[in-house]
Amino acid sequence: MSSITRRHFLTTTTGAGLAGILATGLPPARGQQREISYLCWNNFAPLSDKKLAEIAPRFTKDTGIKIRIDHIAAPQQAAKYASEVQTQAGHDLVEMRMHVPWLYEPQLVDVSDLVADLEKKYGKVIGSGYEAAHVHGAWRAVPQYHAVFVSAYREDLFKKAGLKAPETWEDLYKVGRELKKMGNPVGIPISQNFDTISTGSAVMWCHGAREVDKDGKTVKINSPQTAEVIEWYKKMYRDCMEPEVLSWTDASNNESLQQGKAGWIHNPVSAYIVARDQKLVTADGINHHLSLSGPAGRHDVDAPRSIGIWKFSKNVEPAKEWIRYLLGKKEVYDEYIMSGGGFNLPIYTKMQDHAVLKTDPKLAILKGEGVNYHTYGWPAPASDKVQLITNSFILPNMLAKAVTGTSTKDAIAWAENEMKKIMAGS
Amino acid sequence: MAIGTVGVAAAADRTSLRAKAWGLLDREEWLGPIFVSPALILLLLLVAYPFCMALYFSVSNAFIGRPSHFVGLRNFIDLWGSDAFRQTFQNAFVFSGAAVGAKLFLGISLALLLNEQLWFKRLIRGAVLLPWVIPTALSTLGWSWMFNSLYSVVNWTGLALGLMNPPGPNWLGQQYYAMTAVVVVNIWRGLPFFAITILAGLVAIPRELYEAAEADGAGPVARFWHVTLPLLKPVLAIVVLFSTIFTFSDFNIVYVLTHGGPINSTHLFATLARQIGLETGRIGEGAAISLYLFPALMIVVWAQLRFVRKQAY
Repeated sequence: MSSITRRHFLTTTTGAGLAGILATGLPPARGQQREISYLCWNNFAPLSDKKLAEIAPRFTKDTGIKIRIDHIAAPQQAAKYASEVQTQAGHDLVEMRMHVPWLYEPQLVDVSDLVADLEKKYGKVIGSGYEAAHVHGAWRAVPQYHAVFVSAYREDLFKKAGLKAPETWEDLYKVGRELKKMGNPVGIPISQNFDTISTGSAVMWCHGAREVDKDGKTVKINSPQTAEVIEWYKKMYRDCMEPEVLSWTDASNNESLQQGKAGWIHNPVSAYIVARDQKLVTADGINHHLSLSGPAGRHDVDAPRSIGIWKFSKNVEPAKEWIRYLLGKKEVYDEYIMSGGGFNLPIYTKMQDHAVLKTDPKLAILKGEGVNYHTYGWPAPASDKVQLITNSFILPNMLAKAVTGTSTKDAIAWAENEMKKIMAGS
Repeated sequence: MAIGTVGVAAAADRTSLRAKAWGLLDREEWLGPIFVSPALILLLLLVAYPFCMALYFSVSNAFIGRPSHFVGLRNFIDLWGSDAFRQTFQNAFVFSGAAVGAKLFLGISLALLLNEQLWFKRLIRGAVLLPWVIPTALSTLGWSWMFNSLYSVVNWTGLALGLMNPPGPNWLGQQYYAMTAVVVVNIWRGLPFFAITILAGLVAIPRELYEAAEADGAGPVARFWHVTLPLLKPVLAIVVLFSTIFTFSDFNIVYVLTHGGPINSTHLFATLARQIGLETGRIGEGAAISLYLFPALMIVVWAQLRFVRKQAY
């Protein structure tokens, strides 16, 4: 039996590898064609992710294009996008929340042709979807679905205590005091997460406060309206909530309602859907009502999601084919929307009365026309700087400072200073 | 005939070249570098290249996916204007000081205990290593449940024993508690490294020295101060050096437990750098944050290694 010498090992392994590459004319990773990869978040309605996994092999069977779907937790998405862009490598398609397409405009393929086809079929994209993905005259991502923030509450506890569902943020304070006494406090997070920005933005807009003005340049956080909002948060924190909200993640308010602690939260319907699907004892008692209004009317925060294609992708056409399949084939899009059980709502106007809303009477509240729906930063035009303000968690930290002892004036001054630095940046 | 001669000569040249090549591969001075070069290339690609890139980013206005320009030390200077950065700077020293100090004290205590004749000594020594062996992100996730405001087993136990007033401390939501929580998890995680390394140092101390000290009338405390501690100094210096570097650059524990909150009160350089550099796209500033203490840590490393060398010779 002959033994392998060191020089034989070196010459054989190096020679075989090089010969393979030279014979095909392609580096190893490029040898396979028509295979795409798609990065999504871990949907708060988990059945949606299962449905995607079901649709993928059918897409492959129908088109001959292989697809790999990866999921990532929402808090990690921003960093993942950044690393893919910086290295110019990664997935072909990425699912994007809010107006992330503005932040990555130079890196995203123009998908206006795809959106035009979808709008012909399903009607115009609703306002929040347009704000999020239509960047400087072109669609940089294809609107996929949206999740609107509503009021999710323990209807059973409200009835038992003779409480009426609130209609305004001020009503919530009155109701909240009673809820806290009952041991079922209001659950509005005040921590470094997106739900804090969502509720904080809605409260701001309803009071006429804003972070940046309509011109997209002038920081307007320092206003009597913002002071009013902060005072409202202070009394809510003191009388209606518990300090735990300072440590909450995006999932905590859902869990608090599901586990029977919180009596009222501001959230999409995912808290209820999960409770219902997992047959939790609280599910029957949970119901929804509209988001609340304030002195400046009712404004709902909406979280549209869209699918973008990186410019560095070598598979732009196959990637577009996936979007045409998932969103352009009505039966597939319907199937996907249905799987979310009301969390993933269709984002095109003609689909607003979708069958998913009739699957459960507790979802009826979601049939909205979308006129009051806004994304973060409204009324400033969506821009990369507005995204920076969002991702820097200035609003949550301003609120957290205020409720933990910083004066209203100092908290606002701090936020104004931080926002001005971002707006002045290059 | 001429053609045949040329052919034979060319074949002979090829054979001679091949023989030379084989000959070179048989010589250690050639074969050694050939085998080492893949590791060297990996080091250059995975350590030197990212480090140089980080250095470049830190002196540029780099923003994800856009062209960047050299800005000198502006990022480092501007960072002092940031409330979050100043808080992070303070946090890093509080976190590292408290954690390394506690790990040193507890590590020596645990090592002394493990050095005694115990039942199931091997089993206990193995079990002590568990926190060090379990992936940090996973174990910290367990801690996050233990400190969770809704499900906290720590509060449940405290309340059941009457040690806390309801609803118990808000571990991750109030700044001093949150800092305590991340320090506790860091101590739990890093203690085995201290204990086992110090134990190795203890085992190496000759028994005769203790016997001689005992014969001179030294009690346990005197033996510890005058025999154990002086002979452990080089080991302690190395352990503290490594731990200081690891603790200053900790990421997982803070990221999983608090995300740097509440109000940036637990942010460390690594977590703030991630937030600024990756989540907001300002990688120039992010790189500057992550490299801020690099010169200071280099000096600490140099001083401690110098101390260790002096102790050794």
